[in-house]
Amino acid sequence: MTRRSINQSACLLVAVLALGLPLVMRSATYLHILILLYFYAYLTTSWNLVGGFAGVLPLGHAAFVGIGAYTSTILYLQYGVSPWLGMLVGGILATLVGILIGLPTFKMRGAYFALATIAFAEGIRVMIENIDRLGPFVINGPRGLQIPPLKLGLSNFMFAVKEPYYYIILIMLAAVLLLTYCISRSKLGYYLNAGGEEPEAAMALGVNVARAKLIAMAMSSFLTALAGTFYAQFTLYIHPKSVVSLDLSFEIAFIALIGGRGSIAGPVLGALLLRPVSDFSRIYFGDTVPGLHLIIFGVVLILVMLYQPRGLQEPLTRLYNRLVDRLAGTEGGEASA
Amino acid sequence: MDKNRQRHILECLAAACMIVALNFAFGHPAGAADKVVKVGNIIPLSGPSASVGQQGKNARDMAVEEINAAGGIESLGGAKIEMLYADSESKPEKGVAEAERLINTEKVNVLTGCWNSAVTYPVTAVAERYGIPFIVPVSVADKITEQGFKNVFRIAAKDSWWTRDQFAFLKDMQAEFGGDVKRLAFVYENGDWGKGFAEQWKKLAQEGGYEVVLDEPYPSTATDLSPVVQKIRRANPDVLLLVSNAADAILLTNTLAEYQVNLKAIIGSGGGHADPSFLQATGENSRYLFDIVEWETDINKPGAKEANEKYKAKYGQNLTGEAVDAYLAMYVLKDALERAGSLDPGKIREALAATRLDSGPGMIVGYDSVEFDESGQNKNASLVIVQVNDLGSGFERITVWPKGARRAGYTPVFPVPQK
Repeated sequence: MTRRSINQSACLLVAVLALGLPLVMRSATYLHILILLYFYAYLTTSWNLVGGFAGVLPLGHAAFVGIGAYTSTILYLQYGVSPWLGMLVGGILATLVGILIGLPTFKMRGAYFALATIAFAEGIRVMIENIDRLGPFVINGPRGLQIPPLKLGLSNFMFAVKEPYYYIILIMLAAVLLLTYCISRSKLGYYLNAGGEEPEAAMALGVNVARAKLIAMAMSSFLTALAGTFYAQFTLYIHPKSVVSLDLSFEIAFIALIGGRGSIAGPVLGALLLRPVSDFSRIYFGDTVPGLHLIIFGVVLILVMLYQPRGLQEPLTRLYNRLVDRLAGTEGGEASA
Repeated sequence: MDKNRQRHILECLAAACMIVALNFAFGHPAGAADKVVKVGNIIPLSGPSASVGQQGKNARDMAVEEINAAGGIESLGGAKIEMLYADSESKPEKGVAEAERLINTEKVNVLTGCWNSAVTYPVTAVAERYGIPFIVPVSVADKITEQGFKNVFRIAAKDSWWTRDQFAFLKDMQAEFGGDVKRLAFVYENGDWGKGFAEQWKKLAQEGGYEVVLDEPYPSTATDLSPVVQKIRRANPDVLLLVSNAADAILLTNTLAEYQVNLKAIIGSGGGHADPSFLQATGENSRYLFDIVEWETDINKPGAKEANEKYKAKYGQNLTGEAVDAYLAMYVLKDALERAGSLDPGKIREALAATRLDSGPGMIVGYDSVEFDESGQNKNASLVIVQVNDLGSGFERITVWPKGARRAGYTPVFPVPQK
């Protein structure tokens, strides 16, 4: 067997596993956990376009989730617009907002950029919490919006069972991973990488770093907003604390940092390792210690940063490569990875 | 990276996989041999509404104990009702998460809850999505049964029915005792609550052909309400309708007496007028005042006294409106289960929709039967109106309306004799 065929069959195996899982796993609770796992993997992969490749640390992505969720929900509730269409509108709106934030803040460095994005996202949350009506749009303040599950079906993006949600988010995740893969091999990917690591050097070479970052930000906010609509349709009930909270922004960043930012597999691995921690701590410790999972994340994050600063994807990728080598029978070593 | 660390990571992963696998294998015990009806109850057991949530739990437990002791659900071979409680902490998102868990993990057949309208509202959508019947003993927001859902069943009267019943009472009183009422005065605290009531009063007054001679909001923190009382006197209404909090209810009642304002009736809207301190602080001045409430312990219904005594002996408190609705909800459920003869949520829903319960231990409410309309609202639900009077043992609240629930031997004083 060649390395190529091993890689292909590994991909195929993962695909078959992911596609077939709901057929064997009938528990709605576990399916729910898995859907949220993919949801976070998707969010983190979208975040990764800016937070990973562009080398900055945005901590306000919940704002885009909120924009997506609220836009499609308001359009559906008040104007009967299909959430699929609302999803696109939300995405476009988030893109504009993302560019607006990106223009001034990308000039900032390090912690200042992170703080600016936190401030922005919190601003949006406080606004939503305090506004009942914005022009003709009913926002309902802290009480949030409810989507009545009366017209179930694909066209309304609403289902009584979890399986359709599972496949939708799986497809979304696969698509965003493919997109990331293409970008990482494109000129834009190299520009972002160069601009993230050595902006002065990159600019000296004639790379328009600011423009590359803005494009990444636009794509990232668009994709993140799509997930917002997905979340709204999945839970059918959104309120500022669920879709625009700081916790959500942090969790995305945690998953990326622990999994390995700037890599394609990192966000998925991060979500795969961390989401169960969060779900099981919620199930078993309940709300006696609210936010316990974030503390656990914090500890894990410190350990990972100390011992694996490039995230857990690095040792895992190495492990995988060695496995492939052994199977292929060529002790090629790690250089060929 | 050294091999040891890799091994370690692998071991950790393997352990994690094992845990997940074990969960899959043992997470769901096969259907228990004995038939039980699993009822999921989402109520506030901690947080700001904990005390009212605890009353709801006590009343449910009492009813379920009685039902199970009497042989469970006959049509299901004596199946017992099993109660599962989940704490909403009065938080909507907690209520939704618990509803998901109760339905998907615990596989409950029926849901009940959630007292706080803000929690009940999103939970209706969860129940609707999974087709699980959801009995709402008491959550007053109108919108709960106005979403076109098929799986929500509310037992208590909704918000807008408080004002409806105040006007129905007024009409019934005139029919029974005469006393031509034409001129109404509305005086209310200027918050959401008072303004909401006043809005509906205006509509009802127009429909009933009354003349509104005064429409006066006041700040409930006021320390002197004599200007308001002067306005009432000048407007010379037949009947005064009030929405007041505790301190202002007392102040208004005492000031009205001080100025000797002659009225055919004063009707309160619960709140401050139902506060235990009200009777003590107003005494003689509150004589003949009417007030609207959900339930009163002296209600003249078979079994009410006994149920209240049993409850008091068990939990050290009198039954409240909330507790009675929760108690009744369990008997409504029992009745539906008997007719459904199945644990299938769809069949239970059908049976609930066809409910016509007019007897049994649960029927200790002021009205005569439970029937749900298309929206799932108990269309017969009504509130209770009491009159304050002294029958020799100090001032007390005496149930006068609906007539079927009136305290035996008491004749309401209407119109109130002029001073």
